Amino acid sequence: MRSVRPRPLIAGLLVAPLLTGCFAAKNDSSGGTAGGARLKVALAFPPSENFSPYGADATLLSRLGVTEGLTKLDANGTAAPSLAASWQQENDRSWLFTLRQADFQDGSRVTPAAVASALTHAGKAKPVTAALSGASLTAEPVGKDRVRITTADPDPALPLRLSSPGLAVLSAKAYGKGDKVSPVGTATGPFELTKSTGASAATLDRFDDYWGGLARASGVDARFIADGTARTNALRTGDVDIAEAVPVSQAASLDKGHARETATARTTALQLNTEKGAFKDPGLRAAARAAIDTSALAKDVYEGHADTGKGIFGPALNWADGKRTEPKGRAKPKAPGGQTITLGTYDNRPELPEVAQVLKQQLQKAGFKVKLEVRESSRIEGDALEGKFDAFVGARNTMLDTGDPVSVLASDYTCDGSYNLSLLCDSSVDKAVEKAENTADTAKRQDATMAAEARILGTDAVVPLVHQRIITGVGGSVRGEILDPYERTLIGTGTGAGTRR
Amino acid sequence: MRKTEDGGRDAGGGGRSTAGGTRDAGSDERNTAGGARDAGSGWRKAAGGARDARSSRRRTARGVRRLGRAGGPALLWRVVLATALLCLIGLLPWLSRTDPALTVLKARSAERTPAPEALAAVRTQLGLDHGPLHLLGQWTGGLLRGDAGQSWISGEAVLPSVAQSLGVSLLLMSGALVVAVLTAGAVCARTLWLGSRRRLSGRRRARGGAAIFAALPEFLTASVLATVIGVHLGWLPALGWYGPQWMVLPSVSLGLPAGALLGRLLDDLLPGAYAEPWARAAAARGIPGGRVARQALRRCVPALLPNLGLFLVGLTGGAVAVEQIFDIPGLGRTTLQAAVAQDLPVLQAGTLALVLLAAVAGGLFRIAARLTTGPALRDGALPTLHSPVPPAPSRLPLLYGGLLLGVILLGLARDPLALDTAARLQAPSSAHLFGTDALGRDVLARVGHGALHTLALAVGISAFALVAGVLLGLVPRFSGPLLDTLNAIPPTLAGLVVAGVAGSGAATPAIAVAAVAWVPLAAHTAALLLQERATLHLTATRSLGAGRFHQLRRHLLPAVLVPVTRHALLRLPSVALALAALGFLGLGAQPPSPEWGLLLAENQPYAERAPWALLAPAAALALLGALAVTAAGGVWTPRSSRRGLGRGRGLGPDEPPRAAEARPAARELVTAGTTAR
Repeated sequence: MRSVRPRPLIAGLLVAPLLTGCFAAKNDSSGGTAGGARLKVALAFPPSENFSPYGADATLLSRLGVTEGLTKLDANGTAAPSLAASWQQENDRSWLFTLRQADFQDGSRVTPAAVASALTHAGKAKPVTAALSGASLTAEPVGKDRVRITTADPDPALPLRLSSPGLAVLSAKAYGKGDKVSPVGTATGPFELTKSTGASAATLDRFDDYWGGLARASGVDARFIADGTARTNALRTGDVDIAEAVPVSQAASLDKGHARETATARTTALQLNTEKGAFKDPGLRAAARAAIDTSALAKDVYEGHADTGKGIFGPALNWADGKRTEPKGRAKPKAPGGQTITLGTYDNRPELPEVAQVLKQQLQKAGFKVKLEVRESSRIEGDALEGKFDAFVGARNTMLDTGDPVSVLASDYTCDGSYNLSLLCDSSVDKAVEKAENTADTAKRQDATMAAEARILGTDAVVPLVHQRIITGVGGSVRGEILDPYERTLIGTGTGAGTRR
Repeated sequence: MRKTEDGGRDAGGGGRSTAGGTRDAGSDERNTAGGARDAGSGWRKAAGGARDARSSRRRTARGVRRLGRAGGPALLWRVVLATALLCLIGLLPWLSRTDPALTVLKARSAERTPAPEALAAVRTQLGLDHGPLHLLGQWTGGLLRGDAGQSWISGEAVLPSVAQSLGVSLLLMSGALVVAVLTAGAVCARTLWLGSRRRLSGRRRARGGAAIFAALPEFLTASVLATVIGVHLGWLPALGWYGPQWMVLPSVSLGLPAGALLGRLLDDLLPGAYAEPWARAAAARGIPGGRVARQALRRCVPALLPNLGLFLVGLTGGAVAVEQIFDIPGLGRTTLQAAVAQDLPVLQAGTLALVLLAAVAGGLFRIAARLTTGPALRDGALPTLHSPVPPAPSRLPLLYGGLLLGVILLGLARDPLALDTAARLQAPSSAHLFGTDALGRDVLARVGHGALHTLALAVGISAFALVAGVLLGLVPRFSGPLLDTLNAIPPTLAGLVVAGVAGSGAATPAIAVAAVAWVPLAAHTAALLLQERATLHLTATRSLGAGRFHQLRRHLLPAVLVPVTRHALLRLPSVALALAALGFLGLGAQPPSPEWGLLLAENQPYAERAPWALLAPAAALALLGALAVTAAGGVWTPRSSRRGLGRGRGLGPDEPPRAAEARPAARELVTAGTTAR
C-alpha cells in the first residue's frame, strides 16, 4: 500500500525556505556611527507616490527633516528664513530672495541657478503641486546669491507660499530623465534619504554638512504604520521612539508623559448645504447651530484632546483669537418642525462617525429628523461636493500648502471655490475674502481674514465643532521632537533618543 | 441490466470491476485485509454479476473520452471566468460612476483639494479619457509581454510589488495552515482517540466549544493577542514581518477560527469512518489504535480538502484585518487599498494572481483528494460515511438558546440609541449590565436590538447559500471553476463589484455576501457527493434498477444535506461579520444602527480600554454559533431523552446491521451483503 500523506508535508517543508524571502527587509540599526543613536519613528501615512516631492509625500520628507524650502513657517504662522536668509519685495509681482550658504546632500552648492531650476520644475509638475494651484511663478538667478521670483498676479503671500513642502529645493541631480523626481541624496535638510522599502519603511542618515549644524541623531529609521492602534503599540513595545498621530482612543493607553499634545490648524466642522434642501433656509441653519453643543464633543468624544470650536481658525493660529469679531448678519433660529436631513461623514478618522452620531442626537432633540451616512472618504467626497447631503461633517486643515489662512476661506466658502462643501455663494463673503487676499501688510491681512471669517460664520453655512490637537507619542528617552502645529516638521537637528546604546 | 450499467458509469466514471481494484479500495490498509476482503467479496456477491468484459472495455474507453472532454471545457470555463472578472474590474469605475481621477488624487494626497485642473491632469496622466476598453486592451497587451503596468498612484511597476505581497501572504497563509491543522486536530482529538479504541458508542458529541472558536472574529483574536502577548507580556513581537517569530501571532489569529471550523466538520465525519467494517475488523485483529485512527483520518479528510483549499486561498487575499493589526505588508491590504483608490492596474494584477493561485491550489487539493481515495472512488467501492447513530440529543442547545434569548429580551427593554457622552466606556454595573460603549450607549440594549436585524439577514443569506450551495454542488464541473474564482476575490472587491453592477441599494450588501457565501457549501457538497456516489449501497441501489432521480432524492441528497446544513449553521456568524465588513464602503448597516457586525467594528478601537463593549457582541455571535451547531445534533426533550438513552446503550457504531435503521432500503441490503460470509 502506498502511503501518500506525508508527501505534501515534505513538499511544504521544501518550499518554506523559498518563502522566507518573503519577509520584509528589516532596517538594521547598525549604521550608528560617531555619536548619537539612530532614531526610530512610526509615521501614519506611507509614501503614496514613491517620495515624489510634489504630492503628499512632500510633507513626509519635510517632517523627517529631509527637504527644505526657501522659507518656513514660524510658530506665529508667518514666514521665517530657511534656505533664503532674507527677502524683499521689489514691486507687487516681484520678490528678491537672498540665499544662505548651504550644500546639497550630494555635495554640490545651493546656487541661485539650482534654486531657480527647482522652482521651475515644481511649477511644471503634473498635477501641479498644491501650493501653486491657481498661481504661477517664474524664478531667475540674480548675481551669485540671489533669486528673483515673479508671479503672474500680485501675490502678497508669496513668502508663505514658498514655505510649502511641495516647493522644496533639490539639486540638479534630482531631475533626471522623464518626470520622475528623486529626493534621494539631493535635498538640503539635516537627514538624507538613503533607502526606502516600498511603502513600509525608509532609512535616513545624518547629513554631516548641514548648514544648521550637526543633528543629534545619527540617522532615522522610519516605519509607516497606517493602523493607529498598531502605531501606538509600536511605541508601547519600544519598537519605535516616536509615534506620530496617536488616535484619541489609544492616547489613554500610553504611559503618563509619553503623549505630547499640540494644537493644530485642523478644524472639524459641520458644513450645511446652502443650495438645496432644508438648510437653504438661513433660519433652519441658525436652528441647527443653536442646537449643537460643541463642549460635549471636545470633552467626551475627543476625550479632552481638542478645543471647542470657536471659528474656522483654531488656537494653532495664535493671533486669530485676539482678532476675532462677532459673526455678522446671523438669521433668527426657526422651528425645524420635523424636517428630514441627511448627514454625511467619512470614517477615515475614527472620531468623525462618533461626532456625527452625537450631532444626530442633538439635532433630533431640536426637532430635525436625521439620516446618517458614513463612507470611506474618497467615496463620499464627490457626492458631498455635488451637494447630495444636507449636512457634512469633515476635518479640514485650515493651513493649506499655501501656508496662507486666506486660501482656505477662498477655496471653501467663495462662489468659485474648489472645495465648497456648503455650496455657499454670498457676495458679501466673496468681497470680504477678496479684500483679505489683496492686503499685503501682515497685521492688516490678519484683521481682514478675521473679518471674512465673521462674515462666513454669519451665514451659518458652517458650524465649527472642535479644533483638534495632534497627539505625538514619545518614548521616555527622546528629547527635542518638534511639535509643529502645521504638521510640517517632526524631526530636527535637536531630536535624539537620549543616552541609550 | 442496461439500467444498471448506466448507473455504474455515472458513479464510477468508467470504473473497472476487477477483483483487484475492489480489494484495493475496500481495504485502506493491508492489515485489515481480513475484514476488508470480506467486504469486497460481499460487494461482489451483491452487485458484481451485472458486468461482462465487453461492457467493461466500452466503459473504460468512454471514461477516457469523458476525461478529455471534462478537462477541455473546464479549462475554458475557468479562462472565461477569469477574463470576465478582469474585464469587470477594468470597467468598475465606469459601472459605479465613481470618478477614478478623484479617488486616485485622494489616494495620493488625502488633503488635496480636488480642483478641476488637478483632476484633469490626473486624467491625462492615466489616459482615462480614452475610455475603459482602451485601458483594458493596453493592460492586456502589456501582460502578454510580462508587464502588468504601472500603479496609478505611485507610478511604480505593479508586478514586483504584487509578487512581493503575494509572497508575504502565502507565508502567512502557510503559518495559518499549520495552526489550523493543529486546532482541527485538537478539536477532534477526543473522537479520534475514543474511536480508535472503539469507545465512541453513546458518547455525547457536539458540545459547541469548537463552534464558539469558529465564531470568533479574526480581528478580535488578533487585537487580544497583539495587546496581551505582544504589548503587555512582550513574549512575541506584535508588529511587522521580519522573521519566523513575527509569524506566530497572526497565524494563530487566522488559523484558530478556521481550524475550529474544519475540526468540527471532521469531528462529524469520524464516527462514520469508525463504524465501517474495516475498522471493526482491524479492532478485532488487534491492530494498534493509532493506526486505525490514521486510516480513519485518511477516510474522512478528502471530504474536507476542498474546503481547506478554499480557506487557504480566501485567506491569501482576505486577511485584511489581521494584516492591519500586525502591520503585515500582505496582498489583502494591497488589493484593499487598490480597490478603494480604484488603482486598476494593481487591482487587476492582484486579482489575477489570486485567481491563478486559486486554480493551482484547487487543482492540487483535488489531486490530493484523488490520491487519498482514488482507487475506491474509481471503483465505486466506498462504504457509506455516516454516523450510524444520530448524535444523542443534548440539553446544551436549550442552555445556549435560553442564554441568548435572555440577553436579547433584557436588551429589548432598553434604548439602544440614547447617547450619554458623559457616561462613555463605563464598566458593567447594575445600571448597565454589559457596560457602555464609546458614546455612552448601553451595550446590552444594542446587542438585544441588533439581534433581530442581524439574525434575520444572516439566517436569510445562510439559507440562500445552503440552497445554492447544494444545487451548485450537484454540478461540480460547472461550479468548480466558478467557486474557485469567486473564492479568490477579496470580500471588499466583491462588494465593490456588486455595488457597481447592482447600485448601492439596500439589498447590495446582502447580494454581495450571498454571492460568495455559497462557495464553501458547494465545495463541501461536491466533495461529499463524490464519495457518496462511490458507495456500495448506491451501487446496489443502481443494480436494483433505481433511476438517477430516485438516487438523488432518496440517497444522495439525504446523505449530503445533514452535514452541509450543519456546515451552513457553523458559518452563520461569519456571514454576519462579512455583512459588517462592507459597511466600510458605505454599503450595509450605517451607524447608529445596532447591527452586530457594526457593533464589533465600532468598538474595535476600544478593545483594550473597554473590552466589554467588544466582547458582548462577540459572545452573542459565539453563542449563536454554538446554538446552531448543538441544535443541529438534536434538542433534548423528555421524550427524546428516553429514546436517546435506549439507543446509546443498546446499539453502538460497533453494530452496523442495526445502524441501518436510520435509513433502510438499499443500505440494508449492502450491509447485509457485507456481513454475509
